[in-house]
Amino acid sequence: MIARIAAKEFTDTLRDGRFRWSAVIVGTLLCAALGAGARHYTDVKAQHDRAASTMRDFWVNQPAKNPHSAAHYGLWAFKPRTLLSLVDQGVDPYVGVAAYLEAHKQNEFQFRPAMDATATQRFGQWTAATIMQLLLPLLIVVLAFPAFAGEREQGTLRQLLSLGVQPGALAAGKALGVASALGVLLVPAAFLGAAALVLASSEGALGGEWPRIALMGLTYTAYFTVFVAVALAVSARTRSSRAALLVLLAFWAANSLVAPRALSDVARRVYPTPSAFTFVTALDADLKKGLDGHSPDARTAQLLKATLAKYKVSSVDSLPINFDAISMQQAEEDGNKVFDRHYGALYDTYRKQNTVHQLGAVIAPLMAVRSLSMGLAGTDVEHHQAFANAAERYRRRLVKTMNESMAANSRSGDFSYKADPSLWREVPPFEYEAPPIAQAMAMQAPSLWLLGGWLLVALVSVARTRSLRLD
Amino acid sequence: MLRFAAFEWRLLRADATLRLFGIVLTLLAGYALFNGTRWVGFQRETIATVQEEEQARLAEHQATIDRLAAGDSTGIKPWTNPAIPSVAGGTQATRYAVLPPAPLAAFAVGQSDLYPYYARVSTRTKQTFIVNDEIENPVNLMAGRFDVAFVVIYVLPLLILALSYNIVSAEREQGTLDLVLSQPVDARRVIGAKLLARIGVVLGVTLALLLVGTLAGGASLATPGALSRLALWAAIVSLYALFWFGVALAVNAAGKSSATNAVILLGAWLAVVVIIPSLYNVAVTTARPSPSRVELTTALRAATNEATEQGSVLLQKYYLDHPEMMAGGAPDMDNFAARSVAVQEAVESSMAPALADFDQRLVAQQALADRFRFVSPALVLQAALFDLSGTSVHRYRYFQGEVDRFHAAWRAWFFPRIFAKSTLSAADFRALPAFEFVEEPASVVVVRVMPAVVGLLLPTLLLAALASGGLRRLRR
Repeated sequence: MIARIAAKEFTDTLRDGRFRWSAVIVGTLLCAALGAGARHYTDVKAQHDRAASTMRDFWVNQPAKNPHSAAHYGLWAFKPRTLLSLVDQGVDPYVGVAAYLEAHKQNEFQFRPAMDATATQRFGQWTAATIMQLLLPLLIVVLAFPAFAGEREQGTLRQLLSLGVQPGALAAGKALGVASALGVLLVPAAFLGAAALVLASSEGALGGEWPRIALMGLTYTAYFTVFVAVALAVSARTRSSRAALLVLLAFWAANSLVAPRALSDVARRVYPTPSAFTFVTALDADLKKGLDGHSPDARTAQLLKATLAKYKVSSVDSLPINFDAISMQQAEEDGNKVFDRHYGALYDTYRKQNTVHQLGAVIAPLMAVRSLSMGLAGTDVEHHQAFANAAERYRRRLVKTMNESMAANSRSGDFSYKADPSLWREVPPFEYEAPPIAQAMAMQAPSLWLLGGWLLVALVSVARTRSLRLD
Repeated sequence: MLRFAAFEWRLLRADATLRLFGIVLTLLAGYALFNGTRWVGFQRETIATVQEEEQARLAEHQATIDRLAAGDSTGIKPWTNPAIPSVAGGTQATRYAVLPPAPLAAFAVGQSDLYPYYARVSTRTKQTFIVNDEIENPVNLMAGRFDVAFVVIYVLPLLILALSYNIVSAEREQGTLDLVLSQPVDARRVIGAKLLARIGVVLGVTLALLLVGTLAGGASLATPGALSRLALWAAIVSLYALFWFGVALAVNAAGKSSATNAVILLGAWLAVVVIIPSLYNVAVTTARPSPSRVELTTALRAATNEATEQGSVLLQKYYLDHPEMMAGGAPDMDNFAARSVAVQEAVESSMAPALADFDQRLVAQQALADRFRFVSPALVLQAALFDLSGTSVHRYRYFQGEVDRFHAAWRAWFFPRIFAKSTLSAADFRALPAFEFVEEPASVVVVRVMPAVVGLLLPTLLLAALASGGLRRLRR
């Protein structure tokens, strides 16, 4: 019985001009988005790869110079694009793409791409993810709003039920019918997306991405299922199809237009971020005074005493090593603690804000889907932070290598020492690998639970439709 | 016709939809205004903090200079000595260039969350101080703000369509249309009256909210140009509202059922407000991609490497180019600070073409985005509202120009003193150049925004003509 209802619903939908037109439009938009995404991805990736190798050349081709000068010279780290960013750009347009790695300082990422785009960008990034998050739910609404309400208006609902059709079977059949009609659009689209990913990826890169792609597919399938179920539930309970459409549109608008903005405001209010000025002022103060009352001067005095004792000498001049370099490394490590605390607190605030966004999925399932989609694409704040942390670890290692070379090869007070250029190669090239999927999902618990909850409620509500409103 | 409108008004007043319209719009606009005002307040606070820091720092360094003059130099190292011009001009005595929020900034956050609104100008290259992003969770930047501009662009059309999607079709469905048509009046006058009543309500509520918002938001209307900006804001929002009434009327004139009208109008809203703007963005960035900051950074580094290698040669060359910098007629080759200036200038002049090209590409992208924005009234409206609120890229570019001027003045003050190795006195400190922001003339903004009036009016008139034709056929 369910299959027969589904088949009827499916044929009806395919014959419907509304479906054909919307499917053609959505399909075209999806193709355009994937094409533009793939092109943008390959362009930016090529730029970043070139720039990274140029930076490496600059670093290894430095002339003989004092290691500390080399540490000050430093290099730039450029954030790589993930392959799946061509499906979902996430926050990429709104985070800096480059960080300057130098001695003494952890610098914030600079150059948000949105800064160099026009205000048109603020209407939203046109990606496959946008289409799946905003347009497809709308398509579902347009397809499914008359499911029950329409039959009720035509009087066929009463007729159907009088034939002994179970309401549950009717609901399940209608849901399956709408779902298969969507499948006609989505299955080819999924293949198209996969093709775009394969074409854009450099050889073999797709292998590691399959789990992420599969999970993303599941996420969106769950999201569409929820919308189908919500649409049917509303259609089953409203008197006219007009009312059903109105309620569903209000839900769609609240979900996709109002919720993201309103939740940003709420999150910002509950967990405020400092102004950049306040942040830097507090950071500088701690760098200057030392954390928790450990003044840098006292630390240096202590370190000197320990070093003199270690080498069993009585004055700095008789040390076989360069105490300035040792003291600089000590300062470096003290500074790192300050950076860890301040940047840690900042990213912690972001994380709390993002949890608030995710919890918003209680009302708006989009919030869960958006978060999961970005997380899987590797374009969320967590992935940005992972890269920022990797760059910072690299900076610390680089500076440490320079300081150690200076300590071992020169004497205190001697800044004229020049290291052999072979030292530059002792610092390996900066390589970054995105965190594994398990780590990427660690912060997504609220989204997973809430989307799962929506799905469960949706499926149960369709399967357990016991009675239908008849007028 | 006014008599009909008065009747319609009585009918509307009895209808719950209207009350709902007023309540929803007031709530949303109120919340949006609250949000925008908070953001403006945050910027004002930051600016005040920044200026306090500058005052305190300058006072502290002046005290140090007094101390030095008295012969006490304890704890002062060469790189912290504010009496040395390169130290003072490079870090210690640097001053802020500040862009205060414009009078109507609380209405549209616009691009103000992306561009720096203050810069600590020094003798060093512009790149060292111009990148100065405000801290913000990128997810919040992506979502955008809930401000008045958002309510006007996205929500107002929806409310208008909800009020008028069945302005003709409902009459037909209730059977009253035939009754009206059988009377010796032009159907267009009756429908026109119905429309007029709705327009009156929507514009009345919207304009009242704007006015209350301006006063409640603390905008000072005494600021030069504030009134003309507000008047244009109101005019452009009204035109946008009229455009949507035009859409509703034109669709109704086609004579379809209310349900069909609703779906068509929803599609129109989606196309104008969501799809076309986003696709337009793709088209613009594909035709004129943003120049690459990453490539610029690499190029800058290459230029710096080259210049640093030939530092002393560059200093010699600098003296040749700027003979006025030679104190006593002979070049001072041991002046480290002077050498940095020479290297800096070499880097800047070798980078100038690349920077100019970068900037030119940004300008070309913006010009393209501006030129064809008329494809969607939402794009036209957004650009106009951002501009009138002083949160558009145009005002930030203007501010950048002012910063450049101040930077040049700052260098002009310090460079001769760096080359002369002079010692700064407390009096010198008091005479440091200061930044004063001169607002972009309102006339410039008005000229920039005027095409928007045409861009909104023209489609509205077209729709009105279309609707009029359709309604005349209704008669027959």
